[in-house]
Parts: sequence; structure tokens; C-alpha cells
Amino acid sequence: MNDKAQLHTLEGLGAAVLMTLTILTITQSTMIVTPQNELAIDVHLEQISSDALTVLDRNPVDSDQYNLTECIASWDMTEASYPDNMTGNLDELDAGLQYLLPDTLYNVDLAYIENGDLKVDNAIIRGPAGKNSVVTRHFVTLTNETVSEMGGSWNLGETELRVVEVRLTAWEV
Amino acid sequence: MGSLRKDTKGQWIALSGLVISLILIGLAVLANQAILAGYHSSNAALEFPKENIRELNLHTHDNARMIRSMSFYINSTTNETVPDAFDQLFDNYSIQMKKLYAVHGEVVDVSMVSINSTTGKYTMDDIDMVLVNITYDDGITHYVAEPELIEVNK
Repeated sequence: MNDKAQLHTLEGLGAAVLMTLTILTITQSTMIVTPQNELAIDVHLEQISSDALTVLDRNPVDSDQYNLTECIASWDMTEASYPDNMTGNLDELDAGLQYLLPDTLYNVDLAYIENGDLKVDNAIIRGPAGKNSVVTRHFVTLTNETVSEMGGSWNLGETELRVVEVRLTAWEV
Repeated sequence: MGSLRKDTKGQWIALSGLVISLILIGLAVLANQAILAGYHSSNAALEFPKENIRELNLHTHDNARMIRSMSFYINSTTNETVPDAFDQLFDNYSIQMKKLYAVHGEVVDVSMVSINSTTGKYTMDDIDMVLVNITYDDGITHYVAEPELIEVNK
């Protein structure tokens, strides 16, 4: 009997087991490693900027830091300009956004309905929006009470409500 | 030529070449699938207006509470009843929301159904729940909450 190649046979068997195991692990694993693509980065950015606006608006009214509604109510209605007057009088909102969105540049626009017409004002300009920028929105409602408390220049009647859309355009740098 | 045909020494090399090329094809298919899966899942996450719907819902909840206290204020300074004042303020809110969403090509409707009062009176403590119809449509996603129950005395 010729038993010269026994080691080779064992080696072949070992290799076959290894290969089968590898293929099984790859095909049966539930987690597929997804390479980062541009869209995945957009999804992430959209989520964190949306969260940032929500978090900013959740501060209780009597806390030390003003919430988003209070910040917007304090606006003096002077549009921002680049690069001289980037934040207007919304420094507090800008500081909050900078803290929540590190390594990210953003612009904030305020859209609202005045006398039946849509108005869009630039409130914060941090630069020209980049190629992969995402836009998220959050709504706040202003009343005469909040505006006069915060010293803003929104001219609202005693019984008037104004819904303001805070539009955040964010892009990574 | 005849001698080359009879020469069978390179068969293992030819076979391993075939095996390696098959493995490469398999790997390429796997990598491609992973990229496609990443693209489709990110695209779906971007396309679905989750945040817009949630925002509409949450903001309507917040506003119902705000409108409640404003209508009591109006009631105390004018002779308008609380339900009337509530109706007017809510209509005003609804019109503004419609316009602000329309700018982005989305149709929303927020309309009030009824104000619930446990005792039938409309004092600050009695109004506990407001029923509101909320619909949202961006052409692909259609969301309806009819009615949305909003607890306003919290």
C-alpha cells in the first residue's frame, strides 16, 4: 500500500474546512460591513443637526440657557451679512449650535408668514454652503409675551401667534 | 503540436488559475452588494420624511398647550368664549403651517376636531384634552393621525 501522501491529504482536508468556515461566516453573518459613502455621511449629518435643533428647544423656560424659541424671540430682525456681521444678535444660539455641531459649518435662516406672505431672513451666516450640505427644519411659535420678555423686534399683536421655521443648513468642513 | 498536447504537466496551474478567478468573482460580487446595500439604506433614510412628520406632530402638541393658555387670556380680556378663541388661534396656526410646509412641496393639514372638558365647563382646569386631525403628504409618504389626542393640562 502506498501511504506516501497522507500528510498532503490531511492538509487538503484542513484547507477545505478553513475555506468552508470562512464562506459560511461571511454569508451567514447578519452584519454587513458597509463602506462609508457620501449619502451615509449626509444621513449622519442630517440626524445630528436635526437633533441639535431639538435639543436646543428642549431647555426649560426658566433655565440659565435660553431655549431656541427664546433665542429666536430675542432676534432684532437685522439680517446677518458675511463676513462682517455673521451672527447678528443671536450669539447665544450660535454658541449652542457650535457646541452641538463640532467640525461643522452652518447657516440659519428664519422663514415665517407675515401678512399672508412668506418671508425668509438670514439670521446666521457662517459661509457659503458646501456641496454636501443638508437642510433641517424646526418650528417655533412666538407670541407677544415671549417676544417682549426677550426684547426682540418681532411686531406681534397681543393675540397673535407666529410660527417661525428655523432652517439650519449644515455642512462638514 | 502533438508533443504539446501530450504534455499534461501544467494542469494544476491551469486549475488553480480557474479557482482563483472564481474566488475573485465571488469577492467582487460580495463587495458590490455591500456598496449597494449602503447606498439604498442611506437613500431610504434621506428620502423618508421622518423628522418632518415628527416635527409637525410635536409642534402641534406644543402649540395646543400654548393656544390653550392664550385663549384663556383672550377670554379674560375680551368677551370671547374660550372655545371660540381656541378655534380662531388654531385656524391661524394651521394656515401658517400649511404655507410653511407648502414651500417645501409638502401638503399638511392640521385642523381641530373638538375640545374635551371633563365637566362640560371651559375653565383652566376643566379643558384636559384636545382632538386634532393631522395629515401630511409629500407625494410619496402619506401620514394621517385622525384624531391625534393631545393632553393639554400637563
